[in-house]
Amino acid sequence: MADYQEAPLATRPKTLDPNEYFNLSSQFRKAETDRASIRANLKRQYQTQLNNPHRKELIEDPALTRWVHARANPYLNFRPTFKTSLLGMLFGVVPLFTLYFVFKTDRDRNEEMRKAGTFDRRFALSS
Amino acid sequence: MAGVGFRRWAQALTKGKGPGFSALLSGSRAASGPSKDTMVGPCPETAEERAAAAKKYSMRVEDYEPHPDKGEGYGDYPKLPDRSQHERDPWYKWDHPDLRRNWGEPMHWDFDMFIRNRVDTSPSPVAWATACKQLFGFIGFMLFMFYLGEKFPAYQPVAPKQYPYNGLYLEKGGDPEKQPEEVKINYEI
Repeated sequence: MADYQEAPLATRPKTLDPNEYFNLSSQFRKAETDRASIRANLKRQYQTQLNNPHRKELIEDPALTRWVHARANPYLNFRPTFKTSLLGMLFGVVPLFTLYFVFKTDRDRNEEMRKAGTFDRRFALSS
Repeated sequence: MAGVGFRRWAQALTKGKGPGFSALLSGSRAASGPSKDTMVGPCPETAEERAAAAKKYSMRVEDYEPHPDKGEGYGDYPKLPDRSQHERDPWYKWDHPDLRRNWGEPMHWDFDMFIRNRVDTSPSPVAWATACKQLFGFIGFMLFMFYLGEKFPAYQPVAPKQYPYNGLYLEKGGDPEKQPEEVKINYEI
């Protein structure tokens, strides 16, 4: 454990974190206890619902519902700033015009070559 | 009078949120479904808003960190560390073992990217620099050696096969009257 070096951009796993074993300061321990108590409370709620013999319906997860709602409704908190409008233009407007021009010029050039008889059909499968 | 009524109706149409056509007509919404304070709200500014948001997402107030408010649509959703589910303890008794997640735990914004079938952020077995050096060093060395092999070939010298009688001039259908050109042969029988 002493010479374990994690790869860049990666974290040390919690079980290899020396803080778990050697940090005895009261703030750190209190923080860990608070987190554990929140976790235990959620576990208790879940287990109560899970082991309820009269339960017929699915156990609804509010964290999941919130996540789905957050991902499905980004425009509730959307605000047009420089960066967001730039991204919107880049992904929505620029490809439209760029692709139109690219396809048009390529197609026109092909058309000219076909009219002039110089179009290369060596590998064309349709005969 | 009709004009005023029409404007109010248009305003109710645009402002009425929630399900049902009746909501659009009356400007109010149904009471079914989750209430607005349990769902994602705007980015918190004051300390009370932060505390309330932390409680809503079942996190400690000190741990709760909203996404920076750049108008990107995150709202008050917490910014969790970008760690994949691959990095979580495989031996702990999770409520949902395949997702390595407990019930009610706040989910990362990109949770569906970090599941165990997809993006993996766990550390590589060898240090990244070493791995890169070894791979690209080997490939570079092999490319260099093949280039040298092309430049300085090391096989027996070869030439096109030579046949006697002026390269079999008569056998190949040459004219018997004409004199064939002399082919210089490099062997003697």
